[in-house]
Amino acid sequence: MKKEKISEVIITYLILIAVSLVFFFPVFWLILASFSSSGSIYDFDGFFPKSYSTATYVKLFSDTQMYDYPSWLRNTLFIAGFSCVISTILVILTAYTMSRFRFKMRKPLMKTTLILSMFPSFMGMTAVYLIMINFNMINNLWSLILIYSAGAPMGYLVQKGYFDTISNSIYEAARIDGATNPEIFWKVTLPLSKPILVYTALTSFAWPWSDFILPNMLLKNRDLWTVAVGLTHLGETEFSRFAAGAIFIAVPIVILYFSLSRFLVAGVSDGAVKQ
Amino acid sequence: MKSSSIKTKCSYIIMGLGQFLYGQRIKGLLYMGILGLYLWYLFTSGIGDMTGFFTLGTVEADPWLGTEGDDSVIMMLRGILSFLILGAVIIFYLANIKDIKETERLAGSGKMLPSFYRSVLAFVDKKFYVVALFFPVIGVLIFNVLPIIFMILIAFTNYGGNIVPPKLIDWIGLDNFRQIFSLSGIKGTFVKILGWNITWAICATLLNYFGGLLLALLLNKRCVKGKAIWRAFPIIAYAVPGFITLLGFKFMFSYGGPINYYIKAMGGTSIGFLDIDAGWRARIIGLLVNAWISIPTSMLLATGILSNMNNELYEAASLDGAGRWKQFTNLTLPFVVFSTTPTLITSFVGNFNNFGVFYFLRGGLYLDDYFLASDTDLLINWLYNLSIDNNYYGIGAAVSLIIFIITSVISLTAYVNSSAFKKEDTFR
Repeated sequence: MKKEKISEVIITYLILIAVSLVFFFPVFWLILASFSSSGSIYDFDGFFPKSYSTATYVKLFSDTQMYDYPSWLRNTLFIAGFSCVISTILVILTAYTMSRFRFKMRKPLMKTTLILSMFPSFMGMTAVYLIMINFNMINNLWSLILIYSAGAPMGYLVQKGYFDTISNSIYEAARIDGATNPEIFWKVTLPLSKPILVYTALTSFAWPWSDFILPNMLLKNRDLWTVAVGLTHLGETEFSRFAAGAIFIAVPIVILYFSLSRFLVAGVSDGAVKQ
Repeated sequence: MKSSSIKTKCSYIIMGLGQFLYGQRIKGLLYMGILGLYLWYLFTSGIGDMTGFFTLGTVEADPWLGTEGDDSVIMMLRGILSFLILGAVIIFYLANIKDIKETERLAGSGKMLPSFYRSVLAFVDKKFYVVALFFPVIGVLIFNVLPIIFMILIAFTNYGGNIVPPKLIDWIGLDNFRQIFSLSGIKGTFVKILGWNITWAICATLLNYFGGLLLALLLNKRCVKGKAIWRAFPIIAYAVPGFITLLGFKFMFSYGGPINYYIKAMGGTSIGFLDIDAGWRARIIGLLVNAWISIPTSMLLATGILSNMNNELYEAASLDGAGRWKQFTNLTLPFVVFSTTPTLITSFVGNFNNFGVFYFLRGGLYLDDYFLASDTDLLINWLYNLSIDNNYYGIGAAVSLIIFIITSVISLTAYVNSSAFKKEDTFR
């Protein structure tokens, strides 16, 4: 490829700076707001608080009478952690199977999931709610984990797309060497699928971590609230508490994304088979 | 030979018995266990559940007499569940018959029958897809299929309004649909919301998809130094949970928020960006906020796919004198579109049913010339207003069926015609 011209380089960078500002500024604004010494949004000079302090964070964890943030955080972590593990296993298995094997029920299954995914997502929510009441699983964190993980295999298409790009000849070679299908999955596929594993784990962690509708519906007790449900109960006068609470749960997930981001963009298949 | 066919017939009547008689003890016991469990279920509650599905309850609760009535909703749910269980048992029964025939053939030819452990191993290897898909399918059946069937059925009942348990619910055929297409208030709202919903889905999907692709290409350019740092900003936006972003933007555009602060500081009067009369202002804010949330995801996806592309193709193209635009339209675009058609369709459907954006930005507003909705509400928001906030379950379910028909027709045509579906193995 030829080298780019200077003018093009400058324009590229200008666009990049603009894009970065657009993405970063709202986050930056929330960070500033979380350090505001006054709680209400009406006490701000535009985007900037009048004075700064860390009092809001202290309040977030000590003043739990009305808003019990520590317990919201525990509940959210519990739900997101378990859902992440179970959904990742289920999604990867589904995607790999759908990509690699050809069997009679394959096309019908694919079409069925496609049709199912076209139903409005919370069309079934009312029904799920009633099912949960029937099985006496309302106000139970495990019921949320169950719902998140059970629904996860529906979103297998991205992962299937990834497995489709892995060349068939790797599998054929392993098959000739006498490996059984479980062995192939364990020893050939999994090592090759680190990027997509990480992607899947991240997205299936992030979904329950930031979901609002389901916990809002199923968790009625105040002490079972997740962070998402709790934060939506904070109004304009509690703006900096909202900001602090939001920043606090956004930071770990941002760190997670960054420490794992090399997996998100690494190509894997290009080293495995040279044609 | 004679005795073996009798053993086989045993399995037709009691599944697993034949396998047991052939000496495959564990397998036989497992099959018989399943049958036993099902019979136990059938006689304790299964039969009642199945009849209850059709009657939807006959005894209405009467607090004065203290009679405990039937709960129609629960009866319908248990009815659906009982039919799903019946289906599962039939599948097991068919598998049992296939298995006993295989066993008979092996025994007839005088071969050693495989031990339980061996046959499990062989099954896991040969039918790996059955093993791998077992739990995903069960989960999806209970938590996706069952609720959806339930809501489809609800669309044909008079559930909602005043008629909620303990009152009895009845089947009413197509009455809910007739109301949507004839009752003037509901019909007008439906048409207006549908028009906006389609516009929204197309704009949002294109904006997010090409926004992400362009951003990925921009970051992939050779002259960009410190790619990881530039990529960091969209990833931050990606990592921030959606509801925080949405609530944050709501605060930003609120009356006390910073944007109105600057408008006032420059001598203007504050604008209700998301007010009830905001109209297109609110719609465009919604579109942009949604792009802010979704572009990073599609950027990551595009980056991943671009990294799987064969660089030699580009080198060959440049040697052949193909310009940058040509390389983009002839190499990059087909490859990316091929790999992402399914995602594109899911993202279209996702945007069509994007509940969060307008729920958080403008939830709970009802306009006068709409029936329980506002002009930014998508069908899904209307559905929420109808069924969760106002208990119109029957009509809500009918609306969701209509949503389903629209999205499925659009995306099935797109999917079946897409190259990813037709030539799955082309790029392997």
